[in-house]
Amino acid sequence: MEKKLVLVHIDDRPYQVEAGQTIMQAADKLGYHIPRLCYHPKISIEGACRVCIVEVEGMKNFVASCAFPIADGMKIRTHTKELRTARRDIVELILDNHPEDCHTCERDGICELQRLAYAMGLRHRHFEGEKKDYEKDLSSTAVIRDPNKCILCGRCVRICSEVQKVNALGHAYRGFKTVVMPAYDMPFKDSVCTTCGQCINVCPTAAFVEKNYTQELFEKLQDKKFVKIAQIAPSVRAAIGEAFGFPPGRAMHLETVACLKRLGFDYVFDTQLTADLTIMEEASEFLERLGGKGKLPMITSCSSAWMKYMEQFCPDLIENISTCKSPMSMMGALLKSYFAQKIKKNPTDILSVAVMCCTAKKYEAARPELEIDSLRAVDIVVTTREIAWMIKSAGIDFVNIKGEQFDEPLGISSGAGAIFGATGGVMEAAIRTAYELYTGETLMDIELNDLRGLSGIKEGKINIDGKEIRVAVAHGLGNASELLSIIRKDPDRFHFIEIMGCPGGCIGGGGQPYAGSNSIPLDEECLRKRAQALYDIDRGKTIRRSHENPDVQKIYKEFLGRPLGALSHKYLHTHYKPKEPRGIIPEEIKAR
Amino acid sequence: MIRYVITLCDGPSCMQKKSKELQEIIEKQLDNLGVRQKVQINLSGCLGMCAKGPVMVINPGYTIYGNISEKDVPEIIESHIVKKKPLAKFIVDQDHLFNRFYRVFGDVNFFGKQMRIVLRNCGIIDPENINDYLSVRGYEALAKVLTDMSPKDIIAEIKKSGLRGRGGAGFPTGFKWELAASEESLEKYIICNADEGDPGAFMDRSTIEGDPHTVIEGMIIGAYAVGAKKGIIYIRAEYPLAIKRLEKAINDARQHKFLGDDILGTKFCFDIEIRLGAGAFVCGEETALIHSIEGSRGMPRPRPPFPSVSGLFDKPTVINNVETLANIPVIILDGAKWFSSIGTEKSKGTKVFALAGKINNTGLVEVPMGTTLRQIIYDIGGGIPNNKKFKAVQTGGPSGGCLPEIYLDTKIDYESLLAAGSIMGSGGMIVIDEDSCMVNIARFFLEFTQNESCGKCTPCREGTKRMFEILTRITQGKGKEGDIEKLERLGNMIKKSSLCGLGQSAPNPVLSTIKNFREEYIEHINYKKCRAGQCQGLFNFEINEKCIGCGVCKKVCPNQAIFASPKSKYQIIQDKCIKCGLCFKVCKFNAINKILKEVNLWKRN
Amino acid sequence: MANPLEIIKKKRAEAINSIMSKGYLSKKRVYVGMATCEIAAGSKDVMDVFKSAIANGLTDVYLSQKGCAGRCNLEPTVEVIEEGKIPVKYCKVNKDMAKDIIEYHIKKGEVIKDWIIK
Repeated sequence: MEKKLVLVHIDDRPYQVEAGQTIMQAADKLGYHIPRLCYHPKISIEGACRVCIVEVEGMKNFVASCAFPIADGMKIRTHTKELRTARRDIVELILDNHPEDCHTCERDGICELQRLAYAMGLRHRHFEGEKKDYEKDLSSTAVIRDPNKCILCGRCVRICSEVQKVNALGHAYRGFKTVVMPAYDMPFKDSVCTTCGQCINVCPTAAFVEKNYTQELFEKLQDKKFVKIAQIAPSVRAAIGEAFGFPPGRAMHLETVACLKRLGFDYVFDTQLTADLTIMEEASEFLERLGGKGKLPMITSCSSAWMKYMEQFCPDLIENISTCKSPMSMMGALLKSYFAQKIKKNPTDILSVAVMCCTAKKYEAARPELEIDSLRAVDIVVTTREIAWMIKSAGIDFVNIKGEQFDEPLGISSGAGAIFGATGGVMEAAIRTAYELYTGETLMDIELNDLRGLSGIKEGKINIDGKEIRVAVAHGLGNASELLSIIRKDPDRFHFIEIMGCPGGCIGGGGQPYAGSNSIPLDEECLRKRAQALYDIDRGKTIRRSHENPDVQKIYKEFLGRPLGALSHKYLHTHYKPKEPRGIIPEEIKAR
Repeated sequence: MIRYVITLCDGPSCMQKKSKELQEIIEKQLDNLGVRQKVQINLSGCLGMCAKGPVMVINPGYTIYGNISEKDVPEIIESHIVKKKPLAKFIVDQDHLFNRFYRVFGDVNFFGKQMRIVLRNCGIIDPENINDYLSVRGYEALAKVLTDMSPKDIIAEIKKSGLRGRGGAGFPTGFKWELAASEESLEKYIICNADEGDPGAFMDRSTIEGDPHTVIEGMIIGAYAVGAKKGIIYIRAEYPLAIKRLEKAINDARQHKFLGDDILGTKFCFDIEIRLGAGAFVCGEETALIHSIEGSRGMPRPRPPFPSVSGLFDKPTVINNVETLANIPVIILDGAKWFSSIGTEKSKGTKVFALAGKINNTGLVEVPMGTTLRQIIYDIGGGIPNNKKFKAVQTGGPSGGCLPEIYLDTKIDYESLLAAGSIMGSGGMIVIDEDSCMVNIARFFLEFTQNESCGKCTPCREGTKRMFEILTRITQGKGKEGDIEKLERLGNMIKKSSLCGLGQSAPNPVLSTIKNFREEYIEHINYKKCRAGQCQGLFNFEINEKCIGCGVCKKVCPNQAIFASPKSKYQIIQDKCIKCGLCFKVCKFNAINKILKEVNLWKRN
Repeated sequence: MANPLEIIKKKRAEAINSIMSKGYLSKKRVYVGMATCEIAAGSKDVMDVFKSAIANGLTDVYLSQKGCAGRCNLEPTVEVIEEGKIPVKYCKVNKDMAKDIIEYHIKKGEVIKDWIIK
């Protein structure tokens, strides 16, 4: 159906635009990029920052263009003198209550507020006065909150409640004292925060950042005592280039390996390999459950934020969760057992470092139930952002470096392991293997397009030996909770479910590079390109099914025995317990 | 058995017009007709309708006969009491509910000049007894709309009456109802906004405490007009008595079938729930109020969509102020035509004001729109105490402006107050005399609004804080050249850019005082002088030769700023003095002077 | 079935009868202001004085509470309406004054002129 067109004037030029959109949406399409701050297309309109104000003829006051619907005959002005002054003053007011420590700030140079202040032409200050003074919340293993840098745009609050449906954050107090905090100002570690890090992704400043382990890592890399081993997650390679000015969608694992070697790592392994291993275990577990041993639908457990969410909000589904550890923890477990034996080292002398796209992995790494013989499987987790900074800081030329291959014996991966990083990837990989494990035949049509893309909940069907297997995929915890309520109503609807905590899957993780100057956080186009990079890796591989990975086969032969065997259970599986967070527990769960 | 009570006005004016003689004639006629035992005759104090005297009221029904002469009386008595037909040609405003306030006898100076429509029953009936309300035509308006008015008729009537929202913005009530009524939705809500947040305003509390059923009746009629099945009264928890009376009134109304299913035997169903607010000023803003009811933090959201389209739980919602709703039954019963005859061209009816500050009769007054500020302050309010000079009047609560003497003859309505640089607001009216410093007053109001800002939008949250800082600086004697311009620049930006009404009006006290009392700002900044002697940074206490050395001042000084000196017994260390004024108050010998500073910067240079 | 207007007329008649039956037509009617503001100013004590007086045998008085009439600076207020006389409103009434009002005005019919609103 054709949309109704209306005539509007923007800065005295007439335009025909579609009705039913906001002034900002219409202006964007016409090449007017009205300055903005609190607006984000993925979340609801807040109208809080007032940076995007415009003048509409006949209105007494300025209107926020992000919120105001366009109407026929509207005469809009976007940069009159009065508007420019007002916008400038508003941005100054934000700056006046913001610590002026740009040079020592983590986001120096990639800060939306800096960019905005520059664009507004703030050359001197008029209204300085008292600044807020709060303590940082350093309690969490993954996410740091610095209220002093917060400019109260409310993006974090909205993404946490609307996209992730975790509701860990809210505004507290009034007026100048307003601050964003978890309920009752409890420390982050005690709150319902799942450490997914989406607040970091959308924060325009450094009010939310990951807990930084770079200094510790730099020090340990100099320590001769350790054998230093890094693993790199699939989606790190799809995004790390962005931190060095490359456009999104370039897979740069070889460059990353080369840089990590120069940083001082002795071995650089590929988390994609343990992704393959995860598939072996998970597909086997699924077939076992399908055969009547265990609860269906089975739900994946790779995403650390999702695991914390599940323990807190849906302990009723705990038996549906796959017992497999995440690929990162599997790799960590192998490093401190299989690989330690292989190189004849004491596991205590192994420094196991994970380079992840994720902040929640920092939390996962510290979970006591994932320890291997009372040792942490992964000692340090750094995000894509942190490793990119370390590479820059150490003066390593990422841009021009000659790529190097992952090390043996944990370096070969299948295409199935690569696509783990995109939403739907785990499911796709698992089906490739489960099909063959069950039927003994090779699945030929391995690209499951139903499960790809960025729609919130994706469903698919696959025929395994005459049996229809119904699967579903959700990314982002909000979509996950929606899918779970479907399951609660209709437990037999699906057999197998993949859930990823972040929008887009791991490629949209909380540890990925910040949006650059011409981009917005969590831009869908960018997510699509990152995913495409992973699908391209898959296509470029000759081995595209996890069970065909020779390294995986070797590990089973040399060490683990068989999927779901005793050693697999010791090293690759775990169990989850309900957690009662100190936040608010949903009524439906309390009732149970 | 007495069936009628005739009340004859015996005020001075009516007495001159021979009301006493009338009594005899009435008695004679009653005897003639043989109905003497059915009627009781009372004399009352001035009924306040001197122009129409002599006046006689026949109860029940509050039929008021005016301009009656000796020869008319027998006819009236016969018609009204025997034939049970009130005699129309002598009736004065028989239907007008507001007339009942004249029963507030004995206080005619205060009440006689008012016109009480909203407060017609306040201070007259027992608010906890539904029978009292029923006896004064309570719920008759509801019965009338349910008997022979369609929702469309009601909306047309309210539109015709010209009633505008009394919460402050003055949006036409009928139009608001029409918008919500035209929305197609199975679920609609009507909300009564009783979250009275303006400091000093308490008309909503008084209305609910004095006449809760009026508000409930207005809500039911509104619900019927827009098609709402559920009503919510959002009232601040700080009003426990009002809440108690509302609860009782709602229960009584349910028992009488005014609320609940099948109201008064019709198919119309409606019920009311009370929600308590935690007392945030911003929750008076309708979208913030909706968020608060929904259980979220009370923060406004951008409009459109307006609540009448998407309000509570995203359903069409009408939000009306207590005072607006209290007008509804009267309009229905007495007609839009009559109601719209009161007031000015664009503002109809009456408005309740809470008089406070430097005025003799502090309290609630209700006057027709178009009454001048002077009439309210001097005629009803009794002027300024202690023969002080009037300096300004602040209308509209903390977001209103301060109007100086030249505006005293402004006829109050929404537009004229706005034009003068203030607002109607919810009807706070604070009178300021010459002893008050306008800079300090602006600072006081801004302190309130900046504390009560919800913290959502930048201009209001950060801007009002900066304005407050600048004002504080000025009152401490640290004002700088350019401060006034900064205040104006910030104030205008905040007004035009803020998200909700709170921010859009928060700078009003500052901007209006700068406009009307700029010289005081200049004195503060350039000469470090506060002519009212209120700004602590701009005066000193000094001990003069009258000191007898009793030491009381030293004892009360909280900061040990007073010590004994051989020269004049006691002395104040200026650096330590916090200007609390305690010593000044306790000294019985006038030995402490308050010395205003005045620095002439020109001379010093 | 009766239409709502007829129902309400009946209800009003009942209401008036109910008020009358509670002694509305007594010689004197006393109204004590009982809004939050008045209570804060002490009207509860005043009300108690009248209540206990009636409990202790004061007859031919109709006692009722009422809402705020807007006379903030003069609260608590007590209004005494006496048949055939100009009604009076006492202001700033306290316990002792209430007792005097009963003693002088209600029992003896002497208005205490100093205390009424002028």
